[in-house]
Parts: sequence; structure tokens; C-alpha cells
Amino acid sequence: MGYPMEQRDCDFSRILQQMIDKTNALTALLVTKEGISVAEAGDTSYLNTTAMSALVAGMFSATREVARMVGETQFSILLQQGENRHIHIGLIADSKMLVIIFEDFSRIGLVRYEARRICPQLEEAFRREASSDSREAKIGTPLFKEYALNLIDRIFETK
Amino acid sequence: MPHINYRDKQLSFKIVYYGPGLSGKTTNLMYIHQALEKDRRGDIVVLDTAEERTLFFDFFPLELGRIEGYSVHFNMYTVPGQVYYEASRRLILEGADGVVFVADSHEGRMADNVESFCMLQTNLTSFGLDWQRFPLVLQYNKRDLVEVLPLGTLERELGLNGIPVLEAVATAGTGVMETIRTVSRHVIQKFQL
Repeated sequence: MGYPMEQRDCDFSRILQQMIDKTNALTALLVTKEGISVAEAGDTSYLNTTAMSALVAGMFSATREVARMVGETQFSILLQQGENRHIHIGLIADSKMLVIIFEDFSRIGLVRYEARRICPQLEEAFRREASSDSREAKIGTPLFKEYALNLIDRIFETK
Repeated sequence: MPHINYRDKQLSFKIVYYGPGLSGKTTNLMYIHQALEKDRRGDIVVLDTAEERTLFFDFFPLELGRIEGYSVHFNMYTVPGQVYYEASRRLILEGADGVVFVADSHEGRMADNVESFCMLQTNLTSFGLDWQRFPLVLQYNKRDLVEVLPLGTLERELGLNGIPVLEAVATAGTGVMETIRTVSRHVIQKFQL
């Protein structure tokens, strides 16, 4: 039996929401290293999460190169301090990033503590999802490809 | 391998425009962005220098539509072309599902085209990909120049066989949509779980 879909939904949002409640952070995102947002919590109304995810992934990759230059494998945390809003980014399981946007910089210790505390929970949720995903793979069929090719021809038609 | 989110039923492919500096990668992306219907495209992110050269990358997301319950997206990127941005290029190329190599048709840019293509080959190989089977399209851009490289020059120099080749004048939009259509079709045809 695969891990129930509803429970997995609940896993990510529950973990992120609990962290937001404890830190009073504004927004939390889970981003893949390819720059795709896979889970969001808190207020995202002010944010282009698609562009944000692409930029965060690029930023983290660039930082990895910087780390290598100084003899480190990776910097596991990135912190950006602004006038009113600040971003804490932490690496999860070497392939995902937890992005936390918060406003009160005096809470940085709490944000850092909570980000570290929920890491194992998120890693476990990703492991469960990965084992369940393999049972649900139903795309990539000839019919899927046919529809996709038709859409491509229509969307990218020469004007 | 595209990113698949089974939870939210999303499938995301990554297409990268690669090539030497000032060959027209950003111009291609800008043209596609403005040519698409507004509800299909996200905002374009352009990170360039004062000299209009891409510093890190340009990016925009495109929603292809819903197929068999999955929302299918194409995320479009360019890489910076200048040789000294090799580290950035590698990072952006990682995880790509398809690549458009934008060559500069100017006769004097032959060496730059070859050097850039060789870097692309090296990077794809370092990611464990067989670049000869990878969805790759060659675009000869700037065909409106007076003295241009004859078609076939780069293929012969680089030993490319069977690669789709298109001519373009990206500033006028000529050949731009054909190029993205060709690489996208190639990506979908190669897609398998």
C-alpha cells in the first residue's frame, strides 16, 4: 500500500505551519535544487513563489561553488538580512531547501533552531513520499505524449 | 529527468538556452515570452549587467496545460555566455531536460561557438548524460548578417550527426518559435518514467 495522499499533503503543510506558528515567520517554502517549489505555508500572497524558487536554487548552487573554493563541501545555511524582511535558507537531505521569510530579526535564533528541529521530520516525509511515488507512476504513456505534442504545436505555432 | 510532484500533480521540464556570449540566447527567450498568451507564462526574471550581458540567468515558467490530470510546466533558462561564467553555466545546466545551442552565425565567431559547444558537451557528460542521445537543438542565429557561417559548418567541425538544425534571426522573431517547438517536442518524445 502506498502512503495515503491526504496524509502526505498534511505532513508537509503541518510541519511548515507548526514552524511558522512557533517562530511567527511570514512564509515558508520547500524548494528543490532544480528550483521548483514543492510545498508552501504562511502568507504567499506578496510573493512570486515560482521565480523565488528558481532564484533561491541558483543562489544556493552558487554558494556551493563558493564553499568548494574555500575547501568546504557545502554551506548548509544561507542568511539574508534586509531592512524589514530576512530570509533563512537551510539545506535538507542535500537536495531540498527550506526557505523561511521572517520580519523580526531578533527571532533569528528561534528561526534557526526551529529550521534545524524540523529537518528530520521533513527528511522522513520526503522519504515516505519517494517510496510511495514509485507506485503511482502512471504518466509518460503514449497518450500523454500525444496530448503534450499537440499542445506544443499549438502553443509554439509560428505567428 | 523532469521534476514530478505527485502530490500536486505537477510535471516540470527544464529547457536551457546555451551558447557563446552575445549569440542571442536572451533575445530568444524574450521573444518567446512576449509571443505567448499571458495566462500561460509567468514573469520573466532577467539578471544582467549594465552591458546587457546575462550575469547569472534569465528565467520564465510556462504552463503547457493539464494532461491526464497533470499540470505540465516548462521552465525556460538561459546561461551566461562569457567564458568566465563557466561555474554559473554548469549550475544552471544541471537537471536540464533539453538544450538549445544558440550559435552566432558571424564568421568571426566560429572559434567561440566551438569552444562553447565543447563546454556544453563536457558539462553534460559530467552529469552522466550521453549528449548524443540528449534532446539538443542547434540554432544558427543572426542569419541576417552579411557574411554568415554556411549551414553545416559547425556540424562538420563538431562531428554532429542527426542533430536538428534551425536558422534564426531572433531580433525579428524569425525561427524562434520553430526552435522552441523542436526542442520541446524532442524533450517530450524522450520522456519516460
